[in-house]
Amino acid sequence: MTYSSSLALGRKGNYPSRGVSGVAFNTREHAFGPISNSIILIVLACCLGLLYLAQVTKTNAFGYQINSLQQEQTRLNERHADLEVASARLQALDRVQNSEVAKSLVSVAPTATVQ
Amino acid sequence: MTPTSNPVTRIWWVYAVVVFIMAVFGVRLFYLQVIRHDYYVQAAQSDQLKEYEITPTRGIIKAHDGSRVVPIVLNQKLYTLYADPTLVKDSGRVAETLAASLGGTIGDYENKLDTPDTRYVVLAKKLNQDQKEKILRHKYPGVGASEQFYRTHPNGVLAAQLLGFVNGEGKGAYGIEQALNKELDGTPGRLKAITDINGVPLAANKDNTLVPAISGDDVLLTVDVAMQKQLETILQQGLEAAKAESGSALIMDPTSGAILAMANLPTYNPDDYAAVEDSKVFNNAAVSDSLEVGSVMKPLTVAAALDLGVVKVDTSYFDPSVWEIDDYKIKNVEEDGGAGQHTIGDILSLSLNTGATWLLMQMSDKGGTEVNKQGRQRWYEYATNHYRLGQATGIEQGYEDEGYMPEPDKGYGLNLTYANTVFGQGMRATPLQMAAAFSAIVNGGTYYQPRLVDQLIAQNGKVTTKKPVVLRSGVVSDGVSRDIRGLLNNVIAKRQFKRRFDLNTYSVGGKTGTAEIAKPGGGYFDNQFNGMYVGFVGGDMPQYVITVRVNQPKIGGYAGTVAAQPIFAEVVHMLIDDFGVTPKGR
Repeated sequence: MTYSSSLALGRKGNYPSRGVSGVAFNTREHAFGPISNSIILIVLACCLGLLYLAQVTKTNAFGYQINSLQQEQTRLNERHADLEVASARLQALDRVQNSEVAKSLVSVAPTATVQ
Repeated sequence: MTPTSNPVTRIWWVYAVVVFIMAVFGVRLFYLQVIRHDYYVQAAQSDQLKEYEITPTRGIIKAHDGSRVVPIVLNQKLYTLYADPTLVKDSGRVAETLAASLGGTIGDYENKLDTPDTRYVVLAKKLNQDQKEKILRHKYPGVGASEQFYRTHPNGVLAAQLLGFVNGEGKGAYGIEQALNKELDGTPGRLKAITDINGVPLAANKDNTLVPAISGDDVLLTVDVAMQKQLETILQQGLEAAKAESGSALIMDPTSGAILAMANLPTYNPDDYAAVEDSKVFNNAAVSDSLEVGSVMKPLTVAAALDLGVVKVDTSYFDPSVWEIDDYKIKNVEEDGGAGQHTIGDILSLSLNTGATWLLMQMSDKGGTEVNKQGRQRWYEYATNHYRLGQATGIEQGYEDEGYMPEPDKGYGLNLTYANTVFGQGMRATPLQMAAAFSAIVNGGTYYQPRLVDQLIAQNGKVTTKKPVVLRSGVVSDGVSRDIRGLLNNVIAKRQFKRRFDLNTYSVGGKTGTAEIAKPGGGYFDNQFNGMYVGFVGGDMPQYVITVRVNQPKIGGYAGTVAAQPIFAEVVHMLIDDFGVTPKGR
């Protein structure tokens, strides 16, 4: 490409052709008007709102999951406490004393005291 | 062209209307969101924001079982089954299910379910989860269950008064539960959150706050459950033999003040405390019911006289067998052998009231055969400051009784009153106070605060071990303590027991007490007595101190000898046989 042809190409898009009004050329420049801007802003705000709502809903759904896990934890703790009580009852002195094993034990005279 | 037909004008009109409508909305929104902001926030929060108190889990109580640690008080969630009779459709079928699952008769349940004019009847209490689910899975209309936490005692009545219970308001009553209510109770938590319609907290709220509840501390007692069980059995048998309705006994470690067992009869089941008719049964009488202790006071009197240096262990004196003080006669109630020369040892082995009174006379610089102010003051100093009588020991129990020791300078008939106090009348002390003071005179002279708590275990695992607390050292000198042990050994050696002690291997000492019982209006009952025994068992040093109290035995003889002493002897044998008393020389 020669220098002159490159100038010609460069002018092609930026300068009006012969016989075309320079003022008319300027009014053809593309730009968003105030209504478009407003609509775009509203759409953007709506998008952001939707995004926020989606996040809030998602987070709240975790609340249900947390609640469910906490209920499970409580249930397991109660089960553990019940088992501890059952274990303690099984080892209670009266129960041990009255057990078949205890009844079958043979009494031995103590050696530490004089009878 | 009319103005309305102009398109531009029409647009402007439409525009104006739209702007106006928007303005109306804007103004309304401004009013609602700005001016009425606080009101609507509050209204919304009252529906959505819930605040819950999170109840902390009450700490459990544990005790020693030899080298093991076992829980003796736990928590259990139980259910109350209720019904709204107006909603129950088939009461016969519901009653059948209840009777089959829970026991009881169908008729009883039907009567409850058909109760008119009420919307709430309790069908059953204290159901466990399985029982509850067995009923609720039928989904009978009008039948439901509510949960409630209860304290549960796997060993039933064991150590009931020592433990106490938790009342309907969730507060500890009597015993350890009352004394350590703050530690056991924990700190409530708080949950403040926006919730959905079912009350489930929603996570996405910056104002949600959760302060977790802090569970109460677990408490490990110094008590050994096996020793406690045996002590209760021996006390029960002893009271039956003495035909007595009530009594107490305790075993203390004299080298630390730790209570190893403490029993009272009659007793009750803390799981069913509401069934008790006489609230006196709730009291730990060994701690909260003082009495005139009788002659078990004499070892303390002898120790004070020896420590003051007014007599020596081998001192002998002439005992007239009766003293006249303030126009009243002080006499002996047990076999004293009559007037004659006696030793300090005789004051204990023959339980001479006149001998103890003579010691009080010697406590003044003048000596002689009169009780005077200086003698009273010196004895008061020993009784209250050395032996700490007349003041609570501070043991971890509800309603501890301070007892009573008369002041030496206030009132009338002080010489007679003080002559009585040296053999345990005219004053009051609890069995626990006597055990603590007795421990001090036989352990070398250190008064340890009696205690029931070995450890506090926080929920984060932090263990706080309670160390022995010395409330007074030098109660008596080490030499006096040695002399007292020897004198008390002699008391045992001279007594007859159903089962003899191997005194070559073990050191056993003690003293009986038979105390008159004061009448409410003054004076004493002629035919009612309380029996006491305070003694020790060990090897070279006392290992266990034992106190026994038997209230008003109905068999003949002196209450201390016939009722309390046999119980003491059985306890000593039990300790030697089962709890490894260290023999002499080891």
